Amino acid sequence: MNLSPVVEVCDLRKAYGQGSLFRRRGRVEALRGVSLSAKSGDVFGLLGPNGAGKTTLIKTLLGVVKPSSGTAFLFGQPAGSSAARMRVGYLPETLRVDRHHTARSALKFYGRLSHMDQASINRRSDELLELVGLQGRDRESVRQFSKGMYQRLGLAQALMHDPDLLFLDEPTDGLDPVGRNEVRKVIERLRGLGKTIFLNSHILQEVEMVCTRVAIMDKGMVLASGAIGSGISIDDNGQSDAIIGSAIGSMIDGKHENAAVTFDLLHPSHQDSSNQADETIRKCFDRFENSHAVIQPLTSPIATHRVVVTPSDDQAVSQSDLDRVVDDLRSHSISIVRLDTRVPTLEDTFMRLISSQQG
Amino acid sequence: MSLRPYQAIIADSFRSALSSRVLWIAMVAIWLFLILLSPFGYREDYTTEFRNQDFHNGTRLKGMLASGLVDPDVREEPLGLIASAVPEDLQRQLRLVGKGDEVRIRYSVLTDALNGLIEDESWYNAQSWQSTTRLRELRELDEQDVEQLSDSLRKRRARLRIEAALPGVFEARASRSILLTYAGLDFPTEVTVDKPQFKMLVNQFVLPLIINWLLGFILIFLGILVTASIIPDMLQPGSLHLLLSKPVSRTLLLLSKFVGGCAFVLLCVTQLVIGLYLIAGLRLDIWNLRLLWCIPVSVFLFSVFYSVSVLAGLRWRSPILAIGVTVIFGGICMLVGFIGGLSDGLVTGPDRLSHLAVAGDDIFATTKGGGMVRFDASQNQWSEIYESGPGNRDRVLAPLAISSDQIITARVRGGRMNPFGSGAPELSLLSRKNDWSPEPSLRLPTGTTQLLAPKKIAPANDSIFALNTSDLLTTTRSEILLAAGEQKEDAPTPESDASQNTPSWFSKLNSLIGGKTKGFENITPERMPLTQPRSVAVVNANTVVAISGGRLMRVEKAPTDRWTIAKQRTLAGDNSLDTLLAVTGDQLMLARPDEPLRIIDLESLQDLAELEMPTRSFATQLVGFSNANGDDTFLVVLSDGTCRQVNWKDDSKKRLNDFARIGPNEIETLSFDQPANRLFFAHNVDQLDAIDVSTGDTVLSIRPSVTGWRQVDQLVVTPLRWLTPQTGDLGETIATMISGKSAFSFSSGDGERETIRRKVAGPVISCTVFTTVMLMISCVYFATRDF
Repeated sequence: MNLSPVVEVCDLRKAYGQGSLFRRRGRVEALRGVSLSAKSGDVFGLLGPNGAGKTTLIKTLLGVVKPSSGTAFLFGQPAGSSAARMRVGYLPETLRVDRHHTARSALKFYGRLSHMDQASINRRSDELLELVGLQGRDRESVRQFSKGMYQRLGLAQALMHDPDLLFLDEPTDGLDPVGRNEVRKVIERLRGLGKTIFLNSHILQEVEMVCTRVAIMDKGMVLASGAIGSGISIDDNGQSDAIIGSAIGSMIDGKHENAAVTFDLLHPSHQDSSNQADETIRKCFDRFENSHAVIQPLTSPIATHRVVVTPSDDQAVSQSDLDRVVDDLRSHSISIVRLDTRVPTLEDTFMRLISSQQG
Repeated sequence: MSLRPYQAIIADSFRSALSSRVLWIAMVAIWLFLILLSPFGYREDYTTEFRNQDFHNGTRLKGMLASGLVDPDVREEPLGLIASAVPEDLQRQLRLVGKGDEVRIRYSVLTDALNGLIEDESWYNAQSWQSTTRLRELRELDEQDVEQLSDSLRKRRARLRIEAALPGVFEARASRSILLTYAGLDFPTEVTVDKPQFKMLVNQFVLPLIINWLLGFILIFLGILVTASIIPDMLQPGSLHLLLSKPVSRTLLLLSKFVGGCAFVLLCVTQLVIGLYLIAGLRLDIWNLRLLWCIPVSVFLFSVFYSVSVLAGLRWRSPILAIGVTVIFGGICMLVGFIGGLSDGLVTGPDRLSHLAVAGDDIFATTKGGGMVRFDASQNQWSEIYESGPGNRDRVLAPLAISSDQIITARVRGGRMNPFGSGAPELSLLSRKNDWSPEPSLRLPTGTTQLLAPKKIAPANDSIFALNTSDLLTTTRSEILLAAGEQKEDAPTPESDASQNTPSWFSKLNSLIGGKTKGFENITPERMPLTQPRSVAVVNANTVVAISGGRLMRVEKAPTDRWTIAKQRTLAGDNSLDTLLAVTGDQLMLARPDEPLRIIDLESLQDLAELEMPTRSFATQLVGFSNANGDDTFLVVLSDGTCRQVNWKDDSKKRLNDFARIGPNEIETLSFDQPANRLFFAHNVDQLDAIDVSTGDTVLSIRPSVTGWRQVDQLVVTPLRWLTPQTGDLGETIATMISGKSAFSFSSGDGERETIRRKVAGPVISCTVFTTVMLMISCVYFATRDF
């Protein structure tokens, strides 16, 4: 697999609204120095509130909008060049297909726009109509199509010329749960084929489920970008496993969004002398090297103490320290009622980043 | 570069337009229209009944009928027989005319009377008619058995007999005329034209009119309605971003959308034009393949408007605004076209020079505005001798230089639309010593339309000829000078001396039928009035060549002073066509529209050669002259405004185009100045060039300075017309394409032919430039803008 970046964006800036000769409007900086890169096989999620610059970024990468400064390359070719666009598929947020089309004629039209010959168009149309579940309805006028059917058609046209890079703007928008699941499967399959996918979605869980990397944007800047934790995996039912480690590897302001570990403990001699119990527990947690433990007494009948261990530097809480603490606690006959190694969700990170920006 | 994506875009915009309801309504309307047209047909029948427009000279008819009633000498002659057969009421009125009273008789009364005669032929007397000049057609009919004649042929024979009895009264009409029918029923109005004229009429006027209105107006508007949404639809975010993400060039994407819109109009236009072509062919027997040219021209016209719609659609992304802007633009084009037409008709048109005369270094010209001007070199302007203008109702006869210091002409008051004008005109003499101010001379024969003279007018007593509505008359230069001198000394006497010794009523009657005028001698061969279409060329003082109604004749003055026909010949072909004649040396040139130019031997009147004419043009003026080397040369001015110099010696050259061009473009008229051996070309309204025929050099070039409205026309209207695409004038291009003629001519009512040149290349160029500029702006806008 070629590991050179498929998408490479460097200090991309775009300012709109320089205004016409007669009407000077305010200058809107839609992109303010965006840099990011995606490698082959990445499923890159682009997150951000409305007006963050996501669409402008995608439009710039597609060549629909010309950047004010900075560079963007797709497959080593300048974004917007014909060679770059040959290998790109795009599903717009609201696909509009002329009313005289049927699904098949629309696919034929878009196929011909991508320089495909008739035979490949016919072959690909059959494959894709089946893939998106429009077979049997391919000769109906699009006038009768529902939003979901439009979305399926849009996905099919984006895949028509077998592109290496896909830009999907809200691909599951308007789909029922079954449809969403199918789209996710299609994305997974495409990733398996080594395609690179740029995904723009408001549904964070969805991004979390299918993306390997994400970038969070606001006000024309990338606030954070990185891989979604290595432990991420999706089973056959589409359910995610427990996530271990950090959700996002690197942060823009040097801080880490690391996991705190919470212990709920039951000390056997709690009723007799709580001070002694407190002392025993503290000693056990003193073994943590670069972490800070806060001990709180609990009044619950099943637990007497809660200890929250927060890593004090850029490191995560190390597994060996955890093992040692568990051994010590058990050797003092202290029961571990609950051990929670909670990682903040993407939503937590997203909300924290956006609110810190706005604050 | 693969063109596949762009073909797909063209096909897609085409299909998008196809799905429009307006299109289907348009198609249904087209088919309904074609179905409504298809029952049109025609029937050919003999020309029998008289119509008002058949009278070439109604006054003469009145006069002749009156003399037939009152003159006892002609009572048993055809004229008398016919006059006494007309209804009593009319006879009473005619008797009053015969007594010299001013009696107005309506044409319809005369036509009804004559048509009554056609029904009842009891007035006919074969013996009397023997003395008339009978056309070959009548002679043949007279020989046939009455029983064998059909009703319409019998009527035809009666009409021909009436025409023979009243020479010089009727216009030449083809023997068969066309009757329009609709679903087998005769149309109420009979078109008095023959088949070739009918074809010409349909091709030159009817089809261009239908095409101009249907294609140039209705279909273009419908096309704009249907296609206005193509660009705004493309600009919808969900559609545009997807299109732009495809590997296609934005410029070509836009151009493909443009072509797609045009392709849709092509579909509609093709149906309509092919339908019209088939109807004209199947129903009227007019198979005009040139009609198919309308398809590309109409699509081209549409593209002009659509280029505006595209730019407006790009800028405002709204079909409604695109339609609105395009309609406003169309309105502006029409307004500019209207102003331009007004300027042509009222400002430049009347200033166009129509005839030239050169006396020494002074140049005179009549204008289309019915005036006469002389070039004033000190002011570099034409100065008016007779007032010229759009509303002018007068007519000035083409001036004639009778020496290097004198020219003659005449102003016929009220003669613009009527050869007679109001009252008998006087010949005017303009001489250098009187500072070219007109002096009255001889009274001119009634209805004089043309003055002619031999090329070399040296001797004082040389002949000057005057052609009036039916006769050729002659006088002499000295007579004219004398008359001018006499009248200058005595008080002018308006009443002609010719009436002194005869009763005044008889002189009036005489003037009605074009009789004697003092100082003029009628040299028209007996019973051979020069009826339209006719043309006269003067060979020398004693020889004249004339053509009248298809009869070509050389008339010579015998030693006994009588003028007789020395040689004559009937021309083959359509004898109702306009004819031009010119003579030089021993050759004669004859031109008729749609026929080759003929070079004819003056002595034998036999054809020496035929020269093929350029397909789109016809001759508007012929001039013959001998150059300094004594070579006989003809100049042929064509309807496209160019001139060819025909120096015919052998028959190696078969086409007019084989001969060299001479002079400027846009020629209005030309004149040969024999004494100085120069050719004067009036061109581009009122500019003038003179070419020395021995050296071929341009020796004089006059570009008069313009003032007033002409200046406005030059500085404002003309640039405005060039800046706005001349979409209205593209109709003229269509008319040219359909008719195959870049000009048409019509009789202007005063016996002269007016030639209207159609604009062909100008509108195409201006529309092409405009469309290209609009598309370039659209492409740059689309390619550089973020969407």
